[in-house]
Amino acid sequence: MINKNNYETFFMSYIDNELNAAERVAVEAFVLSDSKYAEELALFEKTKLQTPSIENIEMEDKIFLYRFPEMQASLDTDFKKSLYKKEAPVRKIVFTPNILRASFAIAALLILFIGVQLFKSDAPIKEKAAIAKDSKEVSIQNENNSIAATSGLALNRKISNTEISKTSITKTNTANNTIDAKEEQTLTINDINNNITSPINTSTVSTEPVSELATDLKINEKELSTNTMEAEPNETVKKIRMTPTIYKEIDIDEDDRTINIGLLEIDGSAFRGITRRVSALLKRNKIEKEK
Amino acid sequence: MTDLEFNICVDDYSDGVYRFILKISKNKEDAKDIVQTAFEKLWVNREKVETLKAKSYLFTVAYHLMIDQLRKETKIIMTDSFDETTQTVSQGSSELKQLLLQAINNLNPTQKSLILLKDYEGYSYQEIGEIMQLSESQVKVYLHRARLILKNKLTHVEKMSA
Repeated sequence: MINKNNYETFFMSYIDNELNAAERVAVEAFVLSDSKYAEELALFEKTKLQTPSIENIEMEDKIFLYRFPEMQASLDTDFKKSLYKKEAPVRKIVFTPNILRASFAIAALLILFIGVQLFKSDAPIKEKAAIAKDSKEVSIQNENNSIAATSGLALNRKISNTEISKTSITKTNTANNTIDAKEEQTLTINDINNNITSPINTSTVSTEPVSELATDLKINEKELSTNTMEAEPNETVKKIRMTPTIYKEIDIDEDDRTINIGLLEIDGSAFRGITRRVSALLKRNKIEKEK
Repeated sequence: MTDLEFNICVDDYSDGVYRFILKISKNKEDAKDIVQTAFEKLWVNREKVETLKAKSYLFTVAYHLMIDQLRKETKIIMTDSFDETTQTVSQGSSELKQLLLQAINNLNPTQKSLILLKDYEGYSYQEIGEIMQLSESQVKVYLHRARLILKNKLTHVEKMSA
């Protein structure tokens, strides 16, 4: 029963609503017995918090807590499996001796084909080079001739004259025998490069006096060396000096290493490096095998 | 528990669980996370949990999650946790209300949880014991100690004011 010693426990149980009906009646009667207890009970009741409904505290984003049938919906497993993607199997290439041989054979055929193409492409270049060389030689000889004429040294004159006579005779022979051919030659050269025509023309022009010199040389070398060489070569020297840069442009010695495979043009210099490397490798292998 | 019953539980108990956790943890995001986790666990165990015990289950899970959270944080600062959330409470006197809130904030988390579960949620000692994994007598003793602390604080203030 409630008394002076345990009334606090009863009061707290009372405000917590943990007492049965008889106990509650007993507490209320005890409180009425003394106003001091009534104040005590009132104080305990003040320790009780108000009901939270007044506070209006609500959970935010409550919607995410609900469970709807749509949220549980799932695709059929067979259909899911049909969506899976498989990676393509990786092929491993094993270099068997047969494959290696075949690849070497193909490589050899390719090299051979490229070589044939190179050989074919070299042919017209050689023709061009020959024409250019002739023109070069003539021009060089003419230059020498002029130098010799101006220098006045007898030995140089003789050598140059004899050289000039050889080249000039051949040129004059070709010029005399086949005039039409000469014209055609000049025309074709003109077609190739207009710059080429001028030295050839100069050579043809210069050869005529040179041929006269050559014929006079047979009669009297001294007269030739004194009389004709002073007057005639000066004209050729002037003409040659008028166009000194032409011959640099006709430098055919530079190898045109373009490889024509069908419609493709490949830079041959790149292959040149590769072939060199391959040959160097082969040599090293041979040396290693020998060791 | 059916889907419909679960959704009814959300309607009926989510606010209460959220409020209970918010009062103690003082952090809205933590409180939301804890409530979500509690309902997630209820959904996972919906076959085992009876609908009538769903509320108790939710509070139990939420309480233990909160205790774990507080332990992780190591420092349990409970001061001012009631300042924002209980300003609208219409206690008899606003001054008395503020005093009570300050006194509650000074209680330890267990005592505070007991007061909240009893006063706000109206749980019995037995239910509180189930939620907090305490015996009924332990709940009674701890809760009465908390009440006495609060009463003494209020008495002291009243004497000072007088």
